[in-house]
Formats: sequence, structure tokens, C-alpha cells
Amino acid sequence: MLSGITVTCFAASYAVALLLEISRLFFQSGVRAAVLIGFMVAGLFAHTWFLGMQVVAGAPGGAPLASWFDWFLVAAWVLVVVYLYLAAYHPKNPIGLFLLPVVLGLIGVAYLFDDRPFPVNRASQVWGTVHGVSLLLGTVVVILGFIAGVMYLVQSYRLKHKLPPSDRFKLPSLEWLETTINRSIAISTLLLAAGVLSGVILNVAIRVGRGASGLGWNDPVVWTSGLLFGWLMAAWIFSALYRPARQGRKVAYLTFATFGFLVLTLAVVLWAPSDHPASTGKISDFRFQISDWATGNLKSEVCNLKSTGHGGSV
Amino acid sequence: MKLQLVGCSHHTARLELRERIAFSPEQTRAALGALRVRFPDIEAVVLSTCNRVEIYTATEAEVGPSHQDVVQFLAEFHGLDPYDLFDDLFERTGEDAVRHLFYVAASLDSMVVGEPQILSQVKQAYETATTLESTGQLTHAVFQAALKVARRVASETSINQRRTSIPSVAIHDYAKQIFERFDDKQVLVIGAGEMGEETLRYLTDEGARKVTIVNRSPEKAAELAAAFNGRAAPWEQLLELLVTADLVISTTGSTEPIVTRKQFDQIEPRRFQRPLAILDLAVPRDFESSIGECLGVYLYAVDDLAKACEKNRKAREKEWPAAERIIEEETARFMAELNHRATAPTIRRLRETCEEIKELEYRRLVNKLPDLDEGVQEEIHQSFNRLVNKMLHPPLESLREGATTGEHHGLLDALKRLFKIGD
Repeated sequence: MLSGITVTCFAASYAVALLLEISRLFFQSGVRAAVLIGFMVAGLFAHTWFLGMQVVAGAPGGAPLASWFDWFLVAAWVLVVVYLYLAAYHPKNPIGLFLLPVVLGLIGVAYLFDDRPFPVNRASQVWGTVHGVSLLLGTVVVILGFIAGVMYLVQSYRLKHKLPPSDRFKLPSLEWLETTINRSIAISTLLLAAGVLSGVILNVAIRVGRGASGLGWNDPVVWTSGLLFGWLMAAWIFSALYRPARQGRKVAYLTFATFGFLVLTLAVVLWAPSDHPASTGKISDFRFQISDWATGNLKSEVCNLKSTGHGGSV
Repeated sequence: MKLQLVGCSHHTARLELRERIAFSPEQTRAALGALRVRFPDIEAVVLSTCNRVEIYTATEAEVGPSHQDVVQFLAEFHGLDPYDLFDDLFERTGEDAVRHLFYVAASLDSMVVGEPQILSQVKQAYETATTLESTGQLTHAVFQAALKVARRVASETSINQRRTSIPSVAIHDYAKQIFERFDDKQVLVIGAGEMGEETLRYLTDEGARKVTIVNRSPEKAAELAAAFNGRAAPWEQLLELLVTADLVISTTGSTEPIVTRKQFDQIEPRRFQRPLAILDLAVPRDFESSIGECLGVYLYAVDDLAKACEKNRKAREKEWPAAERIIEEETARFMAELNHRATAPTIRRLRETCEEIKELEYRRLVNKLPDLDEGVQEEIHQSFNRLVNKMLHPPLESLREGATTGEHHGLLDALKRLFKIGD
């Protein structure tokens, strides 16, 4: 029976949980929290089972969870786990109201993409995994920081306008949100730095080890990733040197800008003409169309294809 | 069994009287000892808070100390004339006393309805009496039930989550929305007024440790600072202290703003937009309202807080019927249990009497008919058992029903007299 679990199953569970979160705004209920957690746990169970099936299905032919489809579902899974953790510690705060739409958005984006697994190149698998996992977690932390930023601005607006806290809509304190935002900026910078550096090492390793041309440094994916990392470094330095950027609403604005850079990077990876295997390959002549940061199967695969006469010209 | 309370509260007596008959913790212990000496067979609990003084007494006997006895005791203990007290002290007995205690413990009878301290005060009073062995079966039951009822009211209604005093709203509904913790925050109190002191009390309860007080009169500032382990600073340092402050409570009696926008603009760059909560509890205001427009500044005046208080008060009124319903339900349940307990000895005696008669008659019959085999004897014994049970079932059922509705006294009396059952 569990083999029949589909994306719709857990997406529906999360959607019901979101509706329950929205109902907080309209009426009070003693059983809502338990029902909400019940739906989230059921959804997480189905989600985990589904990803487990994807691992099993993907393992023989390629790396597990190695497609954009899986990548977005894993990001959504991590966010759901974070949500359950926060819901346990802050049961009165409607965190799901801000976080669950992002989870559903990620599942929706995953649905748009092909789930064909990437071909695997064992030589680059270790650095590819570091590259992919770092960027995946970095993305999740940027999203969490962005959500905390939105909550900060809403809470700040309420307090500026002297609105008393309501039982139906009670947000965490500004100080807690500010701490969360600052931590998310620091952690995401480290994770994205690890992701970008491992990507560089991977590319260099391919060039040196195999004598292949590797990925061009002017590739859109490379420079947008560099731009995101550069922005985070700049934000960090800016915060260190300019005190107002470490506190108050400016911290929230930093998370908005970071989220904007992240969306831009993902958009470029997904849609821009690029030689990066993570792009769709609509423009390139590669035979495989979808690849991933997570597998790190960069140019080496192209070289293989070229050497066997299956690849087109770059 | 009889439960009675004699006492007064902010509803019935003036503060002066309440102060005169209040008990300190030492006096409470002494009073419980004196009560035991004067009325050896009673259970007693003394509840004394700022807003009420109540003496609960309970006895297994039908008659306990009268209203007058307790008033006399109170007067003698405090060296007062009983005639001065009599009219101000109310009395509740039986179910009314139970209901009253439930209202008190659930904070529905408090001056600030929903304030949480009363529950710990009731608990403390009960524990003191228990330690001194002044409690018994009935007081244990009623006080434990009261604590349970209070917790039920707190969990099933939001009556005690709504704060209605300006200082408590200022801290709980606003300051705690800005700051997660207060132990590392610089608190600046401007003025040494009563409102500031009360707000500071709430704040120190929340963990505030770094308190600085500035006042035009340095003596008063020093006095308040000593009371809250803070430090007093000269009035001239006010603007400088605003640079480092996280939370400001201002309660001066000044007729002009003590901090203008122009003055604040001078220090604002040095704050680097760090959040600043200003609770301006002064009338007229101490801070110019335009200061609230500055980045990171959250300024609340008395009017803003009063509106929130009013909103909470209305929300609390909505919760009142639900809380009252719980108390009525719990009172009825408690009384039914109590009455069942009261009827239990009579039921036991009645059963024992009938059993004795049954066994006597059965033995007599078996002796008269020695040839009966064991199977027939057993049948007859069973038949006697069924007869007794069927005879007793209707009166006992009526008694149980009467105990649930509180109408068991007449039935109990009739049973005792009809079957000649003694206590």
C-alpha cells in the first residue's frame, strides 16, 4: 500500500496543515494544534517514504536523489523538519503560516521538473556530493532567514502601530527573530561558501585530472553563484563594519536581498543557457538535459560522451 | 460534616480593616495553633492576602464553631473589639463555601481578575495548615479540588492570560514582544513614581537585572534603586543614559516633555538603530510623540496601553461565563462526591444490620432442618442474599440520587430512625 505514495499525498497533508494554520486567524480551538501536527507528521512520513523510494529507484542507475525534482523535495523535507522543531518549541506562534507556503512552493517547483536521474561519475562524486549538499542546506537556511525576515517586518509593523498581541496571531519577539536572521546569514554564508569552493575544486580537478576543458569561468551559473556568494560575503563584512546592519529592520532587508540573489541564481541554473550540468541543457548540445549541483558530474561526463562519439560539440 | 468560612475581602471590607486583621506567615501559624486549642475537633485553614482574610473551618460533627465564635477568635487574636468586626465579616457554609473557595483559587474573586498569584497563596495557606496538622479529610478534599479547579479554569479559558493593569500590559503585551529576555537589557527608569515602581516589579520578575534610575530628587532615586538592586544616576545624565538603554520607563510629573525630538535626534546616531522600547507612563507625556517615528524606537504612551487594557478587559468578560460554568460544574461534582461520602457510613451500617439479620435467620432455618443437603442449603442462602439485596436496592438508590442533588439529609435521617442505625 505504501508503494502507492505520491507527491500529492504529502503535498495534500501539508496543504491541510496550512489551512489549519490560516484558521488560527479566525477562531480558537483546543484540538487544532494536535490535528495540525498530526497532518504534518503524516505528511513527513509520506514525504520520507517517497524520498526513500526515490533513493532505491535511483541507486542502481545513478546517484540517489540526483535530479532537480529530488533536490527540491529534499529542500522541502528539511524545511518541514525545521517547522516541526519550531512548532514544538513555539506552539503559539503561527510559523507555518510563513513556512508552509514555501514548502508547498518547493514541491510545486519540483513537480515542474523532470525526475530522470543524473548519470554518475565516480571520480567526481565526493566533491559533487559536498558541492550539492552544501548548496542544498545553504538554500534551506537562506529560505529560513527570509521567512524570519518577513516575520520580523510584520512584527515590527504591529509594534510600531501599537497593535497588541492577539491569541490568533502571535509572533516571536523581535530579538528572537533578529538572532535567527543573523544566524541564518552566517550559516548560509558558510554553507554557500563550501558549496561554491567545492564546485571550483571540482571544476579544477576535472580540468587537471582529465585534461578536459571543464566549465567556463564565465558561465552564467558560475558567475551568478559567485554573485550570491559575493553578496553574502559583502553582507557579512557590511554587518561587521556597519553596526545598524546587525540590528533592527536592516537585518531583515539583508535576508530579502539574499533571497533575491538565491532566486536569481536558481533561475539562471534552471533556465539560462549554460554548460553547467545543472542547467536544463536546452541550448547546449548535451544529450542529458537535467543535471544537478548535487552529483558533481560535470564536464567529465561530457568528455566521456565526446570520446565515445556520443556527445555533440560544446 | 460541615464546612464554613468566615472572613472579609476587598468586596466587603475597607483596606484599613483588612490590614488590621491580616495574618503574617508567623501569625498564621500561631492562629492555627490557637484555633486547635480553642476548637480541638475542627480542621482549619487560614488564607490571608492583601485583598482577603478568610478562616476556613471544617468538622465531622453536625455543629462546628459559629460565625460569632470565629469573629470572637479573630478579634481576640488581633486585640480588637468583636463588635467592630462583626458586620464586615461574611460567612459561607457548605456548598457556598466550596464555591467561594473555587472562585478565589481560580482568581475570579480577585481585585485584578485572572491574576496568577492568588493560586500560589491558596496553595501556601493549605500547605501551612497541613504542615501544622490543622487539615483533615474535608479540608484536604476541598483545597485539593480548589487547586484542580483553578488549573482547569486556567487551561480551558484565557481569563488569566488577559492583563488589565497598565504596568502588566506594558511588560507582557509590548516589551516581551520586542525582547526575548531582560537579564541582559539596560533598563532606565525616569522618575520614582508608583507606576514606575510597579512596572519595575513586573520587569524584575521577568529577570531584569541592569536597572538605572534617574530622578530630579536623587534621594528618591537612591531609595528605589536600593529596593531593586539597581543604581541611581544624576538627572543630568539622562540623555547619555538613553544612548545605552534598551527599555525606558518614564513616570515623571513634569508638565513639559523631558525628552524632545530634537534632543533625541542628537543621540540617535550613537544608538545605531538598536531597538529601544519606551514606556511613557506619565501624564502629560515625558517623550515627544514624534520620537516614536525614529527607526528602532517603539514608543508607548499611557493612552496606547489603556486601549490595550480595555481590549483585554472586554476579552476577559467574554471568558467569564466559561470560567463560571467550570466552577459550577466542579462545585456540583465536589458536593455530590462529598454527599456520597457522607452517606457511606449509614449505607454500610444498614447493610451490616441486614446481613446480621439474614445470617441469623439462615442459621436458624438450617438448624431446624438438619436433613437438608448442601445443594439445597446453598440455594436457600443465595435466595436470602437476593432478598436482602432487592429489599435494600430501592432505598439505597434513592439515597444515592439524593446525595447527587444534595437532598439526602431527610432520607439519611429517615433510614437511621426506621432501621435504628446509630452514628
